[in-house]
Amino acid sequence: MLVQTSRFGEQEVETDKIIYIPGGIVGFPTETRYVLLTPPKPGPFLWLQSVGNASLAFLVVDSKDHFPEYRFSLTEEEYLSLELAPASEVISLLVVTMAPEPHEITVNLQGPIVLNVDRMLARQIVLDGTEFSVRHPFLEPSRKKSADSRKNF
Amino acid sequence: MLVLSRKLGEIIAIGDRISVTVLEVKDNKVRLGIEAPKEMRIYRQEIHLKVQQENAKAAGWNVGDLENVVNLMDSERKG
Repeated sequence: MLVQTSRFGEQEVETDKIIYIPGGIVGFPTETRYVLLTPPKPGPFLWLQSVGNASLAFLVVDSKDHFPEYRFSLTEEEYLSLELAPASEVISLLVVTMAPEPHEITVNLQGPIVLNVDRMLARQIVLDGTEFSVRHPFLEPSRKKSADSRKNF
Repeated sequence: MLVLSRKLGEIIAIGDRISVTVLEVKDNKVRLGIEAPKEMRIYRQEIHLKVQQENAKAAGWNVGDLENVVNLMDSERKG
């Protein structure tokens, strides 16, 4: 099927690549179907595009690629709503707030989008707790400190 | 809205499985201890709003910034 996007024009997408987010992204409850695409020159970023609204899209990164120590628990209700099973393939996508300068880019650690890859079913979870920030720097201030990434949470 | 007064250490039960205990009252701040079933996600209301506001901000990205940043990151990597 063809998906209209305001940023990268028309995109051909297989229908089984559509991700259903029943509750929508927080603040955007009416858009529930998305596709995860790769921008033409992606760098580390993925592009979560609404199927129903051409101009609604988010840049996201896979938490395990960039924040391997990032962990949180799902409640039973969340686990069931995502139709998860012990063997499910799960990805946590972090929403990126883009900026003109690389070191100003932040990721939202307080609102991960949890994706059940087997079911193509996702949900944005709101996490409380002092160790997470909605605006965590995507890049470390100094690359040498990357092994110590949790310190700044 | 049901309004109840509680003293330090007193508890409010909500149904059989949820209880809220007043642990500390200091100046204009109240510390509460909450016991609830695991299936319930508990968060401060403003966190939801913060996530919503950050989502709205994140949704405003433009292709120019993305391309610029990817180019800069590329050139940094190549040193």
